[in-house]
Amino acid sequence: MTAGIEVRGLTKRHPGARPDRPALQDIDLEIPHRRFVSLIGPSGCGKSTLLRILAGLEGHDTGSVSLLGESPRRASRRKAIGLVSQTPALLPWLTVRANVALPGKVNRRSGKEVDPPDELLRAVGLEDAADQYPHQLSGGMLQRVAVARAFALRPDVLLMDEPFSALDEFTREALQYQLLGLWQRRATTVVFVTHSVREAVVLSDEIVVMSARPGRVHEVLDVDLPRPRDKDIVKGPHMHDLEDRVRASLQRAWKAGAAPDDLVPL
Amino acid sequence: MREEAGIVTRTTGPDEGRAVGVTTSGPAKNRPTPETSPPAVSRARRRSVFHPFVWSPAVVVLLVLAVAWSAVADAHPYLLPRLGEVGAALTGDPALFLTNAWATLGIALVGVGVGAGSAFLLALLMSEIPVVRRAVMPFAVVLNVTPVVAITPALVVAFGFGMTPKVVVTAIITFFPVLINVATGLRSVPVPVLHVFRTLHASRWEVLLRLRIPNSLPYTLAALRVVLPLSLVGAVVAEFVAAGSSGGLGTMIRNSASTARLDHVYAGVACLAAMGVLLLALVTLAERRLLFWHESRRSTRA
Ligand SMILES: Nc1ncnc2c1ncn2[C@@H]1O[C@H](COP(=O)(O)OP(=O)(O)OP(=O)(O)O)[C@@H](O)[C@H]1O
Ligand SMILES: [Mg+2]
Repeated sequence: MTAGIEVRGLTKRHPGARPDRPALQDIDLEIPHRRFVSLIGPSGCGKSTLLRILAGLEGHDTGSVSLLGESPRRASRRKAIGLVSQTPALLPWLTVRANVALPGKVNRRSGKEVDPPDELLRAVGLEDAADQYPHQLSGGMLQRVAVARAFALRPDVLLMDEPFSALDEFTREALQYQLLGLWQRRATTVVFVTHSVREAVVLSDEIVVMSARPGRVHEVLDVDLPRPRDKDIVKGPHMHDLEDRVRASLQRAWKAGAAPDDLVPL
Repeated sequence: MREEAGIVTRTTGPDEGRAVGVTTSGPAKNRPTPETSPPAVSRARRRSVFHPFVWSPAVVVLLVLAVAWSAVADAHPYLLPRLGEVGAALTGDPALFLTNAWATLGIALVGVGVGAGSAFLLALLMSEIPVVRRAVMPFAVVLNVTPVVAITPALVVAFGFGMTPKVVVTAIITFFPVLINVATGLRSVPVPVLHVFRTLHASRWEVLLRLRIPNSLPYTLAALRVVLPLSLVGAVVAEFVAAGSSGGLGTMIRNSASTARLDHVYAGVACLAAMGVLLLALVTLAERRLLFWHESRRSTRA
């Protein structure tokens, strides 16, 4: 098994934050290539920070990070990383098609081929919207465009920070299956940040439960649901077992961390 | 613009029901396709402008002003010319006004070209090289707070009575608003979008060209909206100071005032007002064309 993402002894302090409470402390993670892994944990436990470090957008203090054996910076140099954030982050002056084609337009020196935008838009069910502009689309459609743009690169590593959190439950579910379909065909390593236990279980091979203050890996849970996942598998009794296990683990993680300073006492 | 808002909402309202979080692409089909969208919007606006509800208040105020003007003009013919006289001056020798207006407009536009153009380039440099920002900003601010009228005589002495001092004055007046606005537009890029560019390892040049400059376009046009009418002020002030030289409405107004040709004075002022409106209309047209994607274009329909 090739190592997809390897994080060893990673510690990260934000400048100006309390020195005794690093945003991330002693994070050890090993994610095999082509795995779908979710990060879940209380607010402020450093999920977004970890994702930004994996994306090469932020440095870290101690420890090491490697994506397929290279540093995040080098991985981004050859356009190996796809990023989807909580907001769609599209360019409003470009059509949907041009937005999806953007990864192919910049950093041409990487020599990386990108998929034709229309093919990706078809995969997310938006071929009719290709000539429209972002302001003409709904939130769910925009987020699908962002997913299509990230997949356009055929990234080795796909990093997603709560991409569906602003959507209603049914849209969310539809987008989860769409994402699984894309992932199955294109086989990349996915790190998916979420607050929803159900979403984590439905999507992932592994769930990394984190605790806050300082941000640590609390527990890594295996999700042994068969693939490809469909509505029947997701409805089964085993699914509920898994959800309960994740919830219990989250509860322990919550207790393990120090209480947030800003929490309003009841 | 603002008073149109209510009407625009009414005429385009029904087909704009924005469904958030819908997975099917159905609602999208109901909306105008991108090629037709901007014209459709402007058609709706144009229709609304012709509606009596829109123009009647302004017409009423115009009539009241005209009556008041005529009353004053009848009582004190040496303070105000009659409206008929102003009209007669304009129609009597249109070539005179056209050539002078053309001269002033030329100065204003060349001044804007030089001032706004150099401000744009400097803003680009400032956004890419922080040292330039720290070096330039204090002087730009000082230049902005110095009354340009005060240095105009010195400029005339330095550059003579030709076009140069007038262009310089206009350029100085238009420089600062453009600099500040474009610099803000280049900087205020949404962080998530910037992150996408950085994970793609886009070069600074690519970020500038594909993200920062398009992002600064609304700010640039907002600056032009302020600066184009200002450029007329700059041109006229420069012509006042360097009067007796070539043509231009400022020169004409000054000479007419000294010979008590009030009809010519007000006809010149009317020409300047018309030119200002024309320049604003051009900016509005450009905004409609270029900023169909921006919130400022859509806020009235949301
Ligand atoms: N730029 C920053 N400067 C200083 N502190 C920061 C910065 N970004 C994040 N932090 C701190 O780091 C910690 C982790 O933040 P992070 O955004 O990674 O949490 P998160 O797990 O993504 O939370 P959420 O679930 O609410 O999104 C928080 O305590 C936060 O205050
Ligand atoms: Mg977060």
